[in-house]
Amino acid sequence: MGLAGVDMVIVPATTGQMGVLPGHVATIAELKPGVLSVHEGNETTKYFVSSGFVFIHANSFADIIAVEAVPLDQIDANLVQKGLVEFTQKLSSATTDLEKAEAQIGIDVHSALNSALTG
Amino acid sequence: MAPNAAVPFWRAAGMTYITYSNICANLVRNCLKEPYKTEALTREKVHFSISKWTDGKPEKPTIRSDSPEE
Repeated sequence: MGLAGVDMVIVPATTGQMGVLPGHVATIAELKPGVLSVHEGNETTKYFVSSGFVFIHANSFADIIAVEAVPLDQIDANLVQKGLVEFTQKLSSATTDLEKAEAQIGIDVHSALNSALTG
Repeated sequence: MAPNAAVPFWRAAGMTYITYSNICANLVRNCLKEPYKTEALTREKVHFSISKWTDGKPEKPTIRSDSPEE
């Protein structure tokens, strides 16, 4: 992605979906796995971000930092379903805190992917 | 004041943010359609060498290579 002037972006912050318009107060927010939508005129482009941050600067520049950000049509729905089932099972068989945390992350990410595809 | 308010579950389990973020990224990559998935798997490979320096000279480097977990 690069530098572009757009009307609005909606980012999946850990505190919920956050709409960012020009003139937004300077903010740093942590992102959770979810959909990023970029609105320009009548068009909306959606991406799924794995996690990351958004820095909104006072001059209405916003930086979105994500390790992975993919257009929604690159996501395979079957793999998402399989993953969700697999991690739900892993959570019930997990013993250590770390295993439980990893399984919970798996569930969160796959549920978010699922909502992104069906939403 | 609540100094430990609302710690994310992964932090409470002893995981760092970078580990969390990398796990999330790997999970997303594994859910991609081809050919995007094979391209993404190349992004997962981490390969670097570390050397400790003493007296201005590097010692023998250790090579660290992260293989992606399936």
